[in-house]
Amino acid sequence: MTLTQRVRPIVLRILFLLGIIGPGLITASAGNDAPGIATYSMAGSFYGYGLLWVLLWAALGAVVLLEMAARMGAVTGKGLTELIRERFGVRVTVFIMVSLVLANLGTTTAQFAGIAASAELFGVTRYLVVPVAAFAVWFLVLRGSYERVEKVLLSLTLYAVAYIITVFLVRPPWGEVLQRTIVPTVRLEPDYLLALLATVGTTVTPWSCAYMQASVADKGVTGVEYPYTRLDVLLGLVLSSLVAAFIVISAAVTLFANGIRVETAKQAALALAPLAGPWARQLFGIGLFGASLLAASVLPLATTYAVCEVFGWERGINHTADEAPIFYGLYTSLIVLSSIVVLIPGIPLFPLMWLSQVLNAILLPLVMAFMLRLANDTGIMKKWRNSRLTNVLAAVLAAVITLATAALLAEALF
Amino acid sequence: MTTYLSHILGKPVWDEEGQRLGRCVDLLAAEVETGFPSIQAIAVKDGRETRLIAAEFVAWLTPSIILNTSDPPAYEPRGDELWLARQVLDRQIVDTEGRRLVRVNDLQLTRISINGIHFRLAGVDVGTLGLLRRLGVEGLAATVLKILHRQPPEAVIPWRDVAPLQADEPIRLRVSLEKISEFHPADIADIIEELDRPTGQALLQTLDTETIADTMQEIEPELQASMLRTLPPERAADVLEEMDPDDAADLLADLTPTRRAKLLELMEDEDATDVQKLLTYPEDTAGGIMTTEFATIPSGLTVGQALDYLRQSEAAHEDEALFYVYVLDKMQKLQGVIALRELVLSAPHVAVQDIMEADVITVDPLRPQKEIAHLVAKYNLLAVPVVDAQDVMQGIVTVDDAIDAIIPTAWKKRLPRVF
Repeated sequence: MTLTQRVRPIVLRILFLLGIIGPGLITASAGNDAPGIATYSMAGSFYGYGLLWVLLWAALGAVVLLEMAARMGAVTGKGLTELIRERFGVRVTVFIMVSLVLANLGTTTAQFAGIAASAELFGVTRYLVVPVAAFAVWFLVLRGSYERVEKVLLSLTLYAVAYIITVFLVRPPWGEVLQRTIVPTVRLEPDYLLALLATVGTTVTPWSCAYMQASVADKGVTGVEYPYTRLDVLLGLVLSSLVAAFIVISAAVTLFANGIRVETAKQAALALAPLAGPWARQLFGIGLFGASLLAASVLPLATTYAVCEVFGWERGINHTADEAPIFYGLYTSLIVLSSIVVLIPGIPLFPLMWLSQVLNAILLPLVMAFMLRLANDTGIMKKWRNSRLTNVLAAVLAAVITLATAALLAEALF
Repeated sequence: MTTYLSHILGKPVWDEEGQRLGRCVDLLAAEVETGFPSIQAIAVKDGRETRLIAAEFVAWLTPSIILNTSDPPAYEPRGDELWLARQVLDRQIVDTEGRRLVRVNDLQLTRISINGIHFRLAGVDVGTLGLLRRLGVEGLAATVLKILHRQPPEAVIPWRDVAPLQADEPIRLRVSLEKISEFHPADIADIIEELDRPTGQALLQTLDTETIADTMQEIEPELQASMLRTLPPERAADVLEEMDPDDAADLLADLTPTRRAKLLELMEDEDATDVQKLLTYPEDTAGGIMTTEFATIPSGLTVGQALDYLRQSEAAHEDEALFYVYVLDKMQKLQGVIALRELVLSAPHVAVQDIMEADVITVDPLRPQKEIAHLVAKYNLLAVPVVDAQDVMQGIVTVDDAIDAIIPTAWKKRLPRVF
């Protein structure tokens, strides 16, 4: 038997496996965009394994909420914002949309901060890169040539796999990791509470629910085919949460254990040092750049589209700016505002990336309240109403977020 | 005198003696297929209880809702009323003049005082001003506009020009359909794409088979399969027969093998064979996008004979565009091509052989779609014949199918699911 004959079955098996988990893995690692990477690196470097239990519950919350959103999309064929408008009227819709736009403005800012931070890893000033990136995003997406760039950016985000390999290289104490994941430990300090909220906020966002429901509704998934969609949602989330957990663990082992608290991208990159050695900075920089640019290209347009859709304004890039002034105005403002924030001299990029996610967490219970009312409405959901378990889990998630928010406010006030 | 639904909803209802009965939560309109449906009753909510009061007992809707009696009897709904707040407000509705889907921000009502007082539904406000009115900041917006010296943009569509759509109300849907079925299939397709699935499907199902086929061809490919699934198999097969073979083949390719086999079985043999042949080619090649319906004439005819031949030819009748007529020899090999225009404008006795273009630009079935698009653009062609290695003609690729490759699809389909 020659060497190639011996190797071929192994290669085939790996290719087969990649074929199955490939698309999911890419989606999962792309989900860990700039704010995600920043939050998980920060969490691991400041608190070691201390926030892993939060990640577990946040991921569980994400499963519950996204499943609920996907189910509503499949049963009604309508988006979340559309359902809210039809059921609760204009005022509630305006309130929800303003929240979503603010949260997404924060997240887009975080993406531009990620672009700036990755450029600075290579010694390029943010005052050059951010305006260029902002213009490129604005222009490419409006011209519709975004498609060509998308695949390149998606493949760049695969660098998140490096975290998984790193963790297996450094051999963390798995027993302790498991124990800290399952047994919650709470510290009533403002910094810890902020980190907790950011971890929740980057794992499950109101926007991801709206986006999930809209994409299921658009695809025309019906109640009968829904089990496949549910499996898809579940697998994607398990994968992305695993990647997230591996980022936390590698940051805990390489940074927390050595007393490094991540304040900059340069420090965050060190988490990959056991694998990439001196190239850790380059690996981290390229991956962060890809993930940030990808999200920065999608988020402003998708947000603008959702707003215009629910209020019935002309929308879409096949209209001119004269026909759809609000569409173009909002889209441009989102990009301009978020890139300007990043350019404020002396603004700390890395904290900006993860702090933006606290807003997402705080807004989540508000949106959840309406989601729960819709998902329990027999008139809308028919026999696909929420199960009691779903309601209880969602209520627990909302309660945890609300308690953490309240504790944070109390700390700040007294 | 006009008023708006948003000014009425939530307002307290008073009887003749100044007794508060509750809050107005809805209005019921009847004869909704007419241009000015009359308001039949108001729904009044007091605590947990909702009761209906006939409109004839309502003296004023604005500025306050006041009844002309102190003991209004309950209104018995006939079943065909439209609940304006619950079924129309905030819903999607078809603007039959603009041929587009709009969302109802507010409803305009008029008060008519001939033979007593009547309230009628006059129009649908789909503009931003309606949204601001709902938010209660209409006055503020008017002031701002006045300062800017701008006229407030009016966007009220008369009720006779709208078609309400609700999947769970078949009767009402049928009335709306009469208006919508007159639309161009491309407009219907746009509306169906934007509607929520259940309503879109209900709308599609009520169209006649030919319209469904034409509409189907204009719908995004991802949606076609799920739309077809909602039709009963026999109907789906009929629709596929009516569609252009290349579009039908693309659609069938997206289905599961068992379903595809079943539908092909149900289709007429001739159409099924055409489609099956197309199914063997990759989707983005000449074979995948060509149509097998094209006009041909045998070689050796005069112009007059050729035109007579075309009038009799079934293939010519099936050719949707009939830009070109292809001249074939006995072995079905392509000899030349002539534009129909030239054929019609030439004298009848001229031999086709003398005026046809013998040096035809052709593509083989596996030629990529993108290349064909460039070919079509370069030579200003309206259709390109597809021939196999033996020069036997297999089909034609029309310009619209060729350029699909270089025209970007709707952006929405291209967004990855990353959040």
